[in-house]
Formats: sequence, structure tokens, C-alpha cells
Amino acid sequence: MRHTMKRLITYFVAASFACLGVMQPAQAALIGAGQVVAAADAQQNRAHIAALLERPAVQARLQELGIGKADAQQRVAALTDDEAAALADKIDSLPAGGDGVIGALIFVFLVLLVTDILGFTKVFPFTHPVRR
Amino acid sequence: MLREAPAGLPRQAELAATPFFPQERYQCGPAALAMTLGAAGIDVAPEALVPQVYVPEREGSLPPEMLAAGRRNGAFSMTVPPRLDALLAEVAAGNPVLVLQNLSLPWVPLWHYSVVIGYDLDRTELVLRSGTTARTTMALSTFEHTWARSQSWGMVTLAPGRLPRTAQEAPTVAAAVAFEQANGAAAARRVYAAALERWPQDLALLLGLGNSAYAAGNVAAAVDAFRRAVAAHPDSAPALNDLAFALNAMGRRREARAAAQKALSLGGPWQEAVRDTLRSIDAAPRRR
Repeated sequence: MRHTMKRLITYFVAASFACLGVMQPAQAALIGAGQVVAAADAQQNRAHIAALLERPAVQARLQELGIGKADAQQRVAALTDDEAAALADKIDSLPAGGDGVIGALIFVFLVLLVTDILGFTKVFPFTHPVRR
Repeated sequence: MLREAPAGLPRQAELAATPFFPQERYQCGPAALAMTLGAAGIDVAPEALVPQVYVPEREGSLPPEMLAAGRRNGAFSMTVPPRLDALLAEVAAGNPVLVLQNLSLPWVPLWHYSVVIGYDLDRTELVLRSGTTARTTMALSTFEHTWARSQSWGMVTLAPGRLPRTAQEAPTVAAAVAFEQANGAAAARRVYAAALERWPQDLALLLGLGNSAYAAGNVAAAVDAFRRAVAAHPDSAPALNDLAFALNAMGRRREARAAAQKALSLGGPWQEAVRDTLRSIDAAPRRR
């Protein structure tokens, strides 16, 4: 009985040492291009930290703007740090290319007609700018 | 303004093989992106791109997401320098350019994506695929007015291994790293190799090439790339660390340890990574 107890304790102690013995060091790894670029550029480093903090906010805003959760998640994951930071700052002020329809105010219509003809804008398909 | 044609630029160019997708309402972004991706040999329908770039409440698509979606679909995407001569040079080099214009005035904006596929310097006009029109021309001066309102934003989506003619080193490296993050290291090999033809000494590109070779299972090619990196940057701890790691993977422990020890002697912020590499060299089973 006593002998068995001693053996058990011995096993237990041996096992814990064995655990220590095979404990893995931190995984060795290659250093990638992205890490070197980020480290070389303090600006990038800041963008990385900002992006980490801001990605959830960007995703939430995309969902508010009518994008489903799964799509919003994938879209945020696809952004670089710089792109995520740009969206976090300016998601509501960045131009959204979409060919929206301009409110048909007659004044606006006349102004744009003139600027189209002068070649400063190209709103109406039927205008041809004056060549200078 | 383009006062005179850049030297060496042909008088006319038109990339007639660029596919055309007429846009649905508000969806010039997905349509334009499908066109430049198609030109790169990546067949994606605009409808498949809508959930990747379109923002319903804004009734449009945002430029950073256009770049990201290009990468997601396997293209090397990056912006081109915001100058008309760069735009024309890209078209002349065979790369259609996706541009953002405000066709209206700043106080009643009409933001629009289209694809520049050609130009004619004698007629001073551009050729575009735009909206529901497969081929339209626009006076260069009108284009410049409308393009300047987006800070002359333009991008290309190229088949991996092709680079924009006008690309600068730092943005290209950043775009290559972004491509690797989106598509995996192994897929990025052609991108790094192409960029290294232009900037053979760039440290990040050399490490990227080695990492992508390693990820593709070609350890010998990885060692070659890391040797090039160490030759060009003898005091770079990351280059030495990666060389040590790859040599160790080939079973060349002695050379691996020498490289890792050199890296350790340099000090600096990479010490922890280097120590891990050194430990893994010591822990590696001895070769018989």
C-alpha cells in the first residue's frame, strides 16, 4: 500500500518533470514582408493599431448602411490597415461612385447644362462641349 | 493639364478587348470592376461583385473597397499616380484604368466609375466604357475637370505577375503585401517576382519571395531568395532569421545556426523571433 503510494507520487513528479522537459519553445517562424514593411514605417504601425481598434466600428457602420452581417465581416477583413483607417475616418464623406440622380431643380439643370457645354461637367448624354 | 504628350507615348491606343458590362442603376462600381477584372482574365459577373462593394444607403461604392474587391477576386490591384500622363501610359501599356469622376459640380455631385480603355491625342479625347455605353469618347479637358474632383483617383486590376507601368516602389510593395494577405503567400510568388525585376534590392520583396516559395513547398527557392536578401542587406536581422529558418528546414543546421547567431548579434526588435529560430535549430533532430 505504502509502496504503491510512493510509486504513484514518483510517477506524478516524473510526469510533471516530463511535461517541463517537452514544453515547446515559442514557435519559430519566418518573418514576412508585411512585418518588415510595418516595422520600417512608424506611420504604418499607427495605422495598424488604429485599424485593429476601428475595424469593428467600420463593420458596424457598413451594416447600418444596409449590408448584411456576413458580407460586412468579409468586406472589413479584405481591407488593408490603410484602407480600414480611411473608411473609419471617412466612410460617410468618401465619394460613393454610383451615378445617383440629381434632384431635378430647374436652376441646377440650367447651370449644369451650361457647364456641360463649357466642358467642365458631363451630366447630360446629349451635350457636346465646345472645343477650345 | 496635359500640355504635351509624354515622350514615347503612341498617338492613339485602344484596348478593344476589354469586356463591357452595362451597369444597373447606381451600380457603376461593380460593372466597372467586372470590366477591368475581365481584362485581366478574371471572369466575374457584376452581380457577384455587388455584395463586395455596393453600399445600399450610399447608393454607390467606396474607393477603398474597390481596391479590396480587386484583390479578393485574385487580381493585383493598386491605384495609379493621379496624373493624366500616368493614366495614358497605363492604357498604352495595355492596362485599362478604372477611374472615379464627379461628372457634375462639387455642390451637386454625380460620382461615377468608368473604365478608360483608350485615347486619341490628335483628337484630344479619351475612350471609355461607361454606364450603359460600351464605347464613348470624352474630350480630354472635360475628363480632367471631372476627374480632378476625385483627386484624380484611378486604379488597375492586373493578372498577378503584371505591374502597372507607372508604379512606384513603396506603393507597389504595399500592394504586394496586401495581395499576399488576401490570396495567401504561395499565390503571391509571381507578384513578388515581377516586382523584384524592377526593384531587385528591395528587402520586403525579397522576403516576400522567399516566404511565398516556402509556403509553396519550395524550400530551396526560399533559401535562394533569403540569400539574395542577406547579400543586399547584410545587417538585416529578418533576412538572416529567415535564411536560418529555411536552411534549418533543409537540414543544414550548421549554416542555419551561423546565420541565426549573426542575426542575434545585431540586436534590435527582432531578437525574440531570432531566439525562437535558434531554439528550433537546437531542437531539430540530428541528421544521420
